[in-house]
Amino acid sequence: MRKTILGLALWLVGFATLAQNSPDDVKTFTLPNGMKFLVLEDHSIPTANMYFFWKVGARNEVHGITGLSHFFEHMMFNGAKKYGPKQFDRVMEANGGSNNAYTTENVTVYTDWFQKDALETMFQLEADRIADLSIDSTMVQSERGVVLSERSTGLENSNYRTISELVKGVAFQEHPYMFPVIGFESDIKSWTQEDLENYFKTYYSPNNATVVVVGDITLAQVKKLADQYMAPIPARGLPPKVRTVEPEQNGERRVTTYKDITTPNILLAYHTPETSHEDYYALDLLNNLLTSGNSSRLTKALVMDTTLASQVFSFMGDGFDPNLFYIYGVAGNGVSAQELEKAIEAQIDDLIQNEVSDRELQKVKNQKLMEFYRTIETINGKANSLGTYEVFFGDYRKLYDAPKLYEKVTPADVKRVAAKYFTERNRTVGYLLPDKTN
Amino acid sequence: MKKIASLLLIFSVFAAEAQNNFKVPAYEKFKLKNGMTVYLMEQHEVPLIYVSAVFDAGSIQDGDRYGLASMTADALLFGTKKYTKEQIEEATDYVGANLNSGAGKESARVSMSFATKDADKMFDVLQDVLVNPTFDATEFDKYKQRSLLQLTQQKESPRAVIGNYFNKMVFDQHPYASPTDGTTSTIDKITAEDVRSFYKTYYTTDHAAIAIVGDFKTADMKKRITALLNGWKTAEGRMIKRVVPDLAFDKSRVLLVNKGDARETTFLIGGKGVDYINPDYVPIMVVNTILGGRFTSWLNDALRVNSGLTYGAGSRFSRYKMGGTFYISTFTKNSTTVPAIDMALQVLDSLHRTGLNDEILASAKAYVKGDFPPNYESAGALAGLLTDMFTYGFDENYINTFQTKVDGLTVAKAKDIIAKYFPKDKLQFVLVGKADEIRDSVKKYGTITEKEIKDEGF
Repeated sequence: MRKTILGLALWLVGFATLAQNSPDDVKTFTLPNGMKFLVLEDHSIPTANMYFFWKVGARNEVHGITGLSHFFEHMMFNGAKKYGPKQFDRVMEANGGSNNAYTTENVTVYTDWFQKDALETMFQLEADRIADLSIDSTMVQSERGVVLSERSTGLENSNYRTISELVKGVAFQEHPYMFPVIGFESDIKSWTQEDLENYFKTYYSPNNATVVVVGDITLAQVKKLADQYMAPIPARGLPPKVRTVEPEQNGERRVTTYKDITTPNILLAYHTPETSHEDYYALDLLNNLLTSGNSSRLTKALVMDTTLASQVFSFMGDGFDPNLFYIYGVAGNGVSAQELEKAIEAQIDDLIQNEVSDRELQKVKNQKLMEFYRTIETINGKANSLGTYEVFFGDYRKLYDAPKLYEKVTPADVKRVAAKYFTERNRTVGYLLPDKTN
Repeated sequence: MKKIASLLLIFSVFAAEAQNNFKVPAYEKFKLKNGMTVYLMEQHEVPLIYVSAVFDAGSIQDGDRYGLASMTADALLFGTKKYTKEQIEEATDYVGANLNSGAGKESARVSMSFATKDADKMFDVLQDVLVNPTFDATEFDKYKQRSLLQLTQQKESPRAVIGNYFNKMVFDQHPYASPTDGTTSTIDKITAEDVRSFYKTYYTTDHAAIAIVGDFKTADMKKRITALLNGWKTAEGRMIKRVVPDLAFDKSRVLLVNKGDARETTFLIGGKGVDYINPDYVPIMVVNTILGGRFTSWLNDALRVNSGLTYGAGSRFSRYKMGGTFYISTFTKNSTTVPAIDMALQVLDSLHRTGLNDEILASAKAYVKGDFPPNYESAGALAGLLTDMFTYGFDENYINTFQTKVDGLTVAKAKDIIAKYFPKDKLQFVLVGKADEIRDSVKKYGTITEKEIKDEGF
């Protein structure tokens, strides 16, 4: 599952006023069934893309059906009424298009990239599976194998995957952010036909989707095709709200597991507010202060100046609900998990005790601007950013406020959010330790 | 994710720009007095400048000191006459610039991107990195410690190392077998003095090129880059006569790499491929699209969609200047290792036996023409393209004729391409997994050799 990439997209879009596009270039309309469209014409290359953001992810799951959002991301390619099994991909690729999809704790996103003349084909394909997905039991069985393999290969090749699933499960005691997006192995093996049918009906209603179309197309074309293919799909009720609220953590939690690895891996997680919260900008800059570039605080202190860690990274999880800020480190040779943890916490303490200099803060503001430019060089970067902002901040237009919100962040703000969220009581610490029993 | 956007399903595409025949944007090419080739291409969509500089200093120059080229490239950023490592990092981080260096098999590369407004300072840093690196011993030793640990940690991920085992197996004594990142015992012996000497020998302007793409005026940039690098005097580059790797295998072989805690078997099956500028590469790529280069490819269809054996299966041609490899890659849980390998072999066999038909060929042609995940959409990608032209010896014609070559492929011609370029038998297998559980059943694929993943090297 993607994690950091999505986080990246959030602040990148914040600088759109500084690029060529302005909010007025993005046209929107909403069909009577509630499906919302954002359209940005960009005629620089003769292609376009269409991104479907569905507001369904692991946070909508419960025990027994964990991983179902992600499973749907797969099942949506396995046949509908007009285009049977395999046909979605075959028709798309034969038309010079390609696609992918990703699922997170909050959303499921489908991405189609195509030559501009294939726009109608894209609408036909998408409308068919949204209106009439078939959930064929043979396909379900085979796709379970695919997802079990996806889960297994993640755990085989990524130590981060192993430790992060455990830490989430401890940091969240009540809220469904505790679930791994891919799901628990036993759930993947045993969800039922009825579970699948209910989930589709509940979450794949047109009013639960935001569609972003960017590229060498026109608003009129998109509107006409949306009316023709998407408008007839009946709306159902909106999905139920996620009711569970994670209570404040009032004491450090620790969790340990083992694997046949070389040196300890550690993961620190702090509860932070939902993405639309006003502290988002200061926390996001703080993230850059910690691990963006070799001159960043943790990278410099732990990886460059010393050999305490062989790598370190941090990121803030996106969320409709309050999620976690993660700091991950892989210990250097002969360095214990405790020593590495202390070294990370010393850097955190420094941010709590002392204000960052104006210059250092300006550095991370500059970094954000540059990363934004690199993203909007491509139409995919534009589409993903617009959609992400629309769903996480509730209105793509709010992204045009972001520059001044980042600019407004002061050294005192960074100190304040560090002190507020990076407390011992609000912390979960995970250790992945070398298993010497093998 | 529906697919892993990594080694499995990616194949390099000379992107055709949709219906419009993709053309490389206009650029200027000239040589400095010291022999260095310069490419300049204006791109004004965003106020950024991308730089890519290449040197004939890849791992093929390592000899038996595996990792030397890679360490030298990395160490270029450890300080210069004017700037310490820390000052370089502070200066580039402050303006959000990216500065990277590294070595591949054929060449070493320094790449940089920054905002147009920061050009003065960033070009100054870049010049000093290229011309006056000091290879600070303290920084080098810390880096060496990190690298030694990372080499060991790499082995925790089969996906990260399986390619090294495969290259070692098929290229054998040829320099392409050299693992670019080195091995623990070879890099342990390499000193700051060694990399300084490697730099002096192989970072020569007569075998180097620099491409600058982005938001500038060509005439101004020409003046700037000439002023910056014209005076750089280096030794003369060495002309090293190299032999083409011999990939004519006389039997099937299996390398079984034991990873005691493996929950799945990761494998590559392959053989001889083609060199970088093989004139038939475009038709080869179209055929490979059908075999294993896209989601609906026969390999992915059989191993993933029809049987649920894996999350992804694909095939690719990995090309170098003097030769290359072809391989199928996938992974599956320990207990289905043999069914998955058998199925992959059946698919390859059916490519030879049954071949293609008009419908699938038309689909693949449309796909490769339309599928340009933004290969050349960004200025950074274009800078990489220009320096690749220099390294591998091709020009824009190679790309500008892409669509014509795709359109010209017929079923009859595809049949010849398959027979000529796609390995059929005497295949080379690398399997990373739990040896005790699969050893007996994989012997049938060829002469077996075993290694322990934790042992040094590949």
